[in-house]
Amino acid sequence: MAAPTAQVSWARATAASLRLSFLEFMADPQWLIPSMIAPVIFGLVSFELFRDEGRYFLTYAILGAAMMSMWGQTLYGSGWATGLDREYGTLEPTIQSPTPYLFVILGRIVWNVASGLIGGAIVYVVILVAAGGPPALPDPIGFVALFVFVMLTLAAVGVLLSAAFVYTRYAGVIQNVGEFAFYVGTGCMFPVVLLPFWTNPVALVFPATWALDALRYLAIPGYVGFGWGFWVDLAGAVVTTVVYLAIAGTVYRYVEHHVLEQGNLGWW
Amino acid sequence: MWRTFWTNAWLAPRTSLGLMRIDFVVGTIFVIPLTQMVFFAYVVELGGGGASEVAFTALGNAIATVTYSSVFSVCLTTDNEKHGGTMEHLLVSPASRFALYVGRGFIPILISIASAAVGIAYAVAFFGVVLPPAQIPELAVSVVLTAFAMVGFGLLLGAVALYLRTALILGNIFLFLGLLLSGVNFPLAALPVPLQWAGDALPLTWGLSAVRAAVAADPIGTVALFWGATALAGAACYGLSLGLWKTFERRALATGSIARY
Repeated sequence: MAAPTAQVSWARATAASLRLSFLEFMADPQWLIPSMIAPVIFGLVSFELFRDEGRYFLTYAILGAAMMSMWGQTLYGSGWATGLDREYGTLEPTIQSPTPYLFVILGRIVWNVASGLIGGAIVYVVILVAAGGPPALPDPIGFVALFVFVMLTLAAVGVLLSAAFVYTRYAGVIQNVGEFAFYVGTGCMFPVVLLPFWTNPVALVFPATWALDALRYLAIPGYVGFGWGFWVDLAGAVVTTVVYLAIAGTVYRYVEHHVLEQGNLGWW
Repeated sequence: MWRTFWTNAWLAPRTSLGLMRIDFVVGTIFVIPLTQMVFFAYVVELGGGGASEVAFTALGNAIATVTYSSVFSVCLTTDNEKHGGTMEHLLVSPASRFALYVGRGFIPILISIASAAVGIAYAVAFFGVVLPPAQIPELAVSVVLTAFAMVGFGLLLGAVALYLRTALILGNIFLFLGLLLSGVNFPLAALPVPLQWAGDALPLTWGLSAVRAAVAADPIGTVALFWGATALAGAACYGLSLGLWKTFERRALATGSIARY
């Protein structure tokens, strides 16, 4: 029997990592709560602040809070798993194995996005109950399709972020301190155009910024986001996501080589 | 007892609290208040709020950020001790529980005061909060009392967590619950009455009321009432936490949950 190809090996590593992440979640689902609590609270606070502003503002609150849940799960999931690997001493053998670490991370990221979706659904239900009814959506099918794409953009960012977390012992600090900065910078709850103009180029580095703006153009009639409109937003989201995914392999190869040279993967 | 108190005050931030890394301290004091205030200020602006609403929210969030060091970090000491395998050794020691636990709150109190002070500075500099210089002493007392009370609340949650597998869920819930129930982003009166009562049970509600009254130059009698409420809430938290530590310590030792993580 012929030896499996590298691609089969990578796919198997991703599937195994995804399966392990799923099993860890099922063994102890309470860990979804920390990444869900903040979005639920912020969603309810925003709902209260938007209460008298019209029916489409409910979409702002729900969309923003759901995005925060998914963003949070991606952010924490990217760093937490690598941090745990480091703490348990499994980071070194994992990186030293022939299968690129990227494919292990990919499985975790896929699960994180999916569990973020579960958190987002819970956020949706909570705010729905508070509002007494669902939000108005002009194009429900288009919304769902674009929402799924937004999840992909978050996954792309999560993959690159996790490369940074391989370097650092302090992923938790970056996550906690940078949490709000990510929510603000990517326009989770409000359009990035509200921020000072010099922040916009930084925000546009993230695929989620483009995708969220496009989602709001689709979901909220009269929405004013980036001046170039829905289609350029969509194109920008696609291009930036492709760039992130294309460079992820190169970045990870460099990171793996570098950390193995430095020899500090066992530090905790 | 005092040796235990100061030893814990000095060592806990480096060990079970994990507070004394410079990146953590700088982030907690300087970055989190600003990003949280910016976030909610823009949410208020998007919701049609004017300058006064933005200032209201900014001041509320400036004080609310004390929860990171006072509540979240302090209640996680239980988790860190369990995770490090030192909880059993700690609990069989004859050291005074008051000194042991309250000593751990000393540095978080200082960090909480610092983050609130920096947050207020941001609120004045960037978000239109007007602070008459004559009100600074009253404001300082309000902030210090709030920090004390919130660390007591964190110790209370840490005591409950002794019996649970992890304090992380409790810490996350109460880290952000104040944003909804303590009048941080909108007046408490906007909430249904039962939720207002829930908010009244949180020390942050009274501490924030004291801060708002001080900034608004309310009569000293009004401010003092809020001081009293904050001090009472804080004292209740410290007292309850010590009682709960004893109770849950016995339960956790009896059921073996002390080692669960």
